[in-house]
Amino acid sequence: MECQELVRYLSDFIDHNLDEELMQAAREHLATCQNCHVVLDSTQKTILLYRRRGERESMAPRRHDALFAQLTEALQNKDDQCD
Amino acid sequence: MQDEREMIDALKQRDPAVLSQIFEHHADRIYRLAVSLLHDEQQADGVVQNAFLALIRHVDSFEGRASVGTWLYRVAYNDCLHRMQAQQRVADIADEEADEAMPACFVDWQNIPEDAFESAEASAEMNRAIDTLKPDMRAVFLLRDVEQLSTAETAQILGISNEAVKVRLHRARLALRERLAVYFDEWVRA
Repeated sequence: MECQELVRYLSDFIDHNLDEELMQAAREHLATCQNCHVVLDSTQKTILLYRRRGERESMAPRRHDALFAQLTEALQNKDDQCD
Repeated sequence: MQDEREMIDALKQRDPAVLSQIFEHHADRIYRLAVSLLHDEQQADGVVQNAFLALIRHVDSFEGRASVGTWLYRVAYNDCLHRMQAQQRVADIADEEADEAMPACFVDWQNIPEDAFESAEASAEMNRAIDTLKPDMRAVFLLRDVEQLSTAETAQILGISNEAVKVRLHRARLALRERLAVYFDEWVRA
């Protein structure tokens, strides 16, 4: 496998979406190509960094509570409304 | 979470506990998608509000062809697109045939201390990097890699094929990696 091919298959490699023959060819290339190894490693780290950040991001608690209160009221009053 | 069918039935009976379950499970996820697309916390709050109000409005006719989560995401994504269109912020979508940029920066991140990845400066660079992605690519990356939804769920939410999800995810990952690699290369050299 060449570098260009490895890059083309990189996402499928990360997601384990390649057939075994291609997975093996990719592993063999990665074992000998430092640049591709770095690209794989840093792509996986990129995903992890955004995932970690996402886990910390949420609605402001006051807004969250106010919205839930509004939705509960809307659900309870649904039958009184003319849709 | 309990079984989807039971949940919908309970919601049809106006059970607030089930509404709470659904809200706790999905509200922040939808908020993250909306904030990333709209860059506006107030508008993102509005997107979450509209999605859940739509669920309440339509619950009696909800047939369960899509899961509640997928349905809410889809409503929210379409709301985001409408808001972006109103602001004329939607770039031309879908360029499956465009050339793929090859990686050009090969600094080894293994030598970078974990503190550097968590710094405010790195976080700001992550924001700038994701903002360079077209909205559809950003949405695919968020749904697949941040929220860890499946390819099929993401395709259903965005109204595109599984193949288009895979292509956009691949491009988004490479583009984000490259941008951050350039930043960390400069960090290592500094």
